[in-house]
Amino acid sequence: MEALQFEFQTNEPIPNRAHVGVVGSGDLEIMMEPVEEPHTSVEVRTSIQGYEKMWRLVLERFIEENNISAKVKINDFGATPGVVRLRLEQALEVSKSNVAL
Amino acid sequence: MLHFKESLVELSARERIRALMDKGSFRELLGPFDGVESPHLAKQGIVPQSDDGVVVGKGAIDGTPSVVIAMEGDFQGGGIGEVAGSKIASALELALNDNKSGEPTKAVIVFDTGGVRLQEANYGLLTIAEIHAAIVALREYSPVIGVIPGKIGAFGGMAISAGLCSALVMTKEGRLCLNGPEVIEQEAGIREFDSKDRTLVWRTMGGRQRVSTGYADIETEDDTWTIRNHISELFAKEHHPRSANIDEFHSIIRAIDTSSEVAPEDFRDIAEKKENKLSNHKKKPELENSRGKIWFEALTGQTAEDNRDAASVLCAEGKINNETASFLAVVPNKQARFPRARNGEVGLEEGWMLAEHVRKIMEEDRNREKRPIVAIVDVPSQAYGYKEELAGIYLSCAAAADAYASARMAGHPVIALIVGQAISGAFLSHGLQANRILALDDENVQVQVMSKQSAARITLRTIAQVEEAAKQVPATAYDVHSFATLGALDELIKNVHPDKPADADVEQVERTLAKTVNDIRERKSGLEHRLQTPAAVEGGRKASIEVRRLMEEQWK
Repeated sequence: MEALQFEFQTNEPIPNRAHVGVVGSGDLEIMMEPVEEPHTSVEVRTSIQGYEKMWRLVLERFIEENNISAKVKINDFGATPGVVRLRLEQALEVSKSNVAL
Repeated sequence: MLHFKESLVELSARERIRALMDKGSFRELLGPFDGVESPHLAKQGIVPQSDDGVVVGKGAIDGTPSVVIAMEGDFQGGGIGEVAGSKIASALELALNDNKSGEPTKAVIVFDTGGVRLQEANYGLLTIAEIHAAIVALREYSPVIGVIPGKIGAFGGMAISAGLCSALVMTKEGRLCLNGPEVIEQEAGIREFDSKDRTLVWRTMGGRQRVSTGYADIETEDDTWTIRNHISELFAKEHHPRSANIDEFHSIIRAIDTSSEVAPEDFRDIAEKKENKLSNHKKKPELENSRGKIWFEALTGQTAEDNRDAASVLCAEGKINNETASFLAVVPNKQARFPRARNGEVGLEEGWMLAEHVRKIMEEDRNREKRPIVAIVDVPSQAYGYKEELAGIYLSCAAAADAYASARMAGHPVIALIVGQAISGAFLSHGLQANRILALDDENVQVQVMSKQSAARITLRTIAQVEEAAKQVPATAYDVHSFATLGALDELIKNVHPDKPADADVEQVERTLAKTVNDIRERKSGLEHRLQTPAAVEGGRKASIEVRRLMEEQWK
């Protein structure tokens, strides 16, 4: 297991908290919570070692496109970058769908 | 109204609960944002999940307050660790409290679990024993309905939980058995059970077989609306739990001819007839020496050979503090009917026999002081075999656990005295429902879930890695000192000779038993006692205690 930490400057707080996914084979779990500061922190725990660069690229792109401020926690069980991307978008969608968790 | 089919199997644990509750009533307790994850996984390099793989939903079913508990099979095979197990147990305990105080609360458990999470080993055993205790207690007030949708099913200690439920709904895809096919193959060989033969697996333990043989109530289509209706239907009925139905199910076991092949279809015929006839004749028992036998003889003053029913389960009276007490032991018997249960394992017959003995003791003491019951524990494992799963060994184990739990609730001081091995499903059946657990302090006294070989195979690790993990998480170690740090052990009895006890050793054990009986009668506490000991509070059960605190806080 490897723990990674990423920080991004942002300015659009997400509306609600969101939880998606499961720590199952090839999948991951994402939790997003709104924050006041123009800042996004992402805490990743992944079962696969040595992919920090890949994580940075996927997260950077997602943040750039959406500019959201949130506290993000990710528990990963070997998801591919494509699956990570899909789950991030799903989490954002849940957050916007007004279903308060 | 047009109704579109919606699969329950394909849903996640959280979605399953939402689908089974009244619309809009679901409220999650100890959810992902409460930050209660397993404290034991990251230490072993395993990524934890925010809800530890168990979702607890409070809400309503048909307008009545309800709790629905679901396991997430995709996370660690739905395995039960300390947090996951404590979430289930505490939710059931709170439902029990509500029912006791006149507030009806229904409980549904959606099983999707491989049983004990091997990376948390003895935590799994302890919390599953607490789940068993809670189901047996809650069932008295309100039916506990189990749903086994698949894809995993209900295995191991959680299959025993399913066996304790008032009623079960299964899909064709759901499976219900004690030992997983891979574990049987590992322990007993591929000739005993070929785990790759998927057809055989489902014919043996799948939903259709379990319902056809009367081991489950309803085989359902995989559709949430239909399953909801089945659950409502079952809540409206009175149930006689299978695990307490000795007459019917023990007869089935007795009717099995253990010397010949029994195909799953043959077993349907046997289960249907429910003949109370002993199949191939029981030979005179041939008991091998074992610690269980040695201590049984020492504490009852009887030789095991005198024991009337013989077989592998011994039961006799002895004295504790000049008071009559009953002692039970499971011992190796070379002539046991089922070949897979000849080394002291708890097998198909042993589970039901333990249940029969304990229930008889309860019956005899119905209108008088409840005598102490001592389970002398020296059980190497549950029996691993094809016939065992076919005839529902999980239910035999449930029957024994049910009987011990019922005796404890009726006021019998129940003590488990570990003199040898206390392993897995065997220990859940014979020992873990006791008010108190005592053990001899000896290196051959061991408490664990599975042999190291099997544990390594199932968790995809080497034996060296399994041993390394034990240093990080004492719950995965095999020795009794590590087990003691979890707080469930009341006393380690020192300086006795476990294989050849001298008179002074026996006296010392008797004194400890006497002291323990007094303590149980004074404090009247059940399994909650295990969370109140200094070792538990100081760290052994820290997460379990925290889960209970938060669950209670969020319950109302």
